[in-house]
Amino acid sequence: MSKELKVLICDDSALVRKKMSSALSGMGVSEIHEAVNGNEAVQKYAEYMPDIVFMDIVMPEKTGVDALKDIKSLNPEAKVVMASSVGTQGNLKEAIEAGAFDFIQKPITEEDIVKILEKIKA
Amino acid sequence: MFTQFFGNYLLNKGLVSPEHLAEALQQQKNTRLKLGVLAINAGLMTAEQVDKVHAEQQRVDKRIGDIMVEMGYLTRNQVEELFNTQPSGHLLLGQALVDNGYMTNSQFESALSAYKSENGITDADFYNADSKQAQKFISNFYKFGDENKNIKYFTGYLSLLFKNLIRFIGDDFTPLEADIIGNRIIMECIGQRISGGLSAITIIEADEFTSAEFASRFANEHIETNNDYAKDCISEFLNLHNGLFAINVSNEEGIELKLEPQSYYDKLTLDDIGGAYVIPVNFSFGMVNFIISM
Repeated sequence: MSKELKVLICDDSALVRKKMSSALSGMGVSEIHEAVNGNEAVQKYAEYMPDIVFMDIVMPEKTGVDALKDIKSLNPEAKVVMASSVGTQGNLKEAIEAGAFDFIQKPITEEDIVKILEKIKA
Repeated sequence: MFTQFFGNYLLNKGLVSPEHLAEALQQQKNTRLKLGVLAINAGLMTAEQVDKVHAEQQRVDKRIGDIMVEMGYLTRNQVEELFNTQPSGHLLLGQALVDNGYMTNSQFESALSAYKSENGITDADFYNADSKQAQKFISNFYKFGDENKNIKYFTGYLSLLFKNLIRFIGDDFTPLEADIIGNRIIMECIGQRISGGLSAITIIEADEFTSAEFASRFANEHIETNNDYAKDCISEFLNLHNGLFAINVSNEEGIELKLEPQSYYDKLTLDDIGGAYVIPVNFSFGMVNFIISM
């Protein structure tokens, strides 16, 4: 379904990275990169230029929203999906204003990921 | 959630021992509800009548539903309806206790009836309690008092915590009474601070084995020891729960909360965070303490 897509998962939780990576592999995504904080996400974005980034918000060193802003300054067309447990009005507003492509509320399901991939490919 | 507090009620009334309760909580998933317990819960039969039916069943080779109809306690339609009843946790727990001989049908009937009446709970509440009712129940159970200005956040936090424990870890637990602690050293725990419209710290503490089990349940995979991955899983549970709490507060109060990244502490002195409540939750695999300062 998504063989040609390059994906970057950024989350400080090894569990979340493992589950998302496994789900994406099952959907045919062959190139998946991982980052454990916002700084690493920006570095890996610049290195791999993924088609889509799944970005947690609450992370050490640099928050997901700050990393989103840095990535958008590297590439205004970047597609960054915020994937967080903290889907408050304030976080949603901040993420949208910073140019997030979409927002997924944790716990993330395979259905959530499929919807995002379909939206990206549309 | 009321099922878990019903377990606490049975403990406090001295009707079951902690060991028997833990055993029954573990067994309830494999327990099949029997017609007698269903009939008692529906108020269609008394425990004494159920015992008479069971005694009759020893003598005749007939199905229990047929005997209940023949003895005039139930109609055919009522038997059918009872068989179609959705199993609810408190009934499964009661059935497991009765099956193991830890309680009689009569003791179960009295305890359930007293619990419902003392707490103003109906049968329907066991299936679908609204959050206001759950918060009121929690406030009464923990006796937090009104002096804490953040009491409504506290009860909201706990109400959501028990829902999330049932949703992500399992329903085989009993909440125990809270303790207030002002000065304590907590070893090997995971914490997350909340700031913004509310200042709080939330901590999960458990022994090595219990931590590994808790993590296994959340990750839905076997985790042998309380290694870094297990700690990561517990951290993620805490972050998920706190995130959902922040959404509730944002939606209901219009107050934005900020979550700090979770931390693992080898040693945390509670002096650093001021007074806190310890909420012990006794799972069938061990005790998990939720320490909350708000």
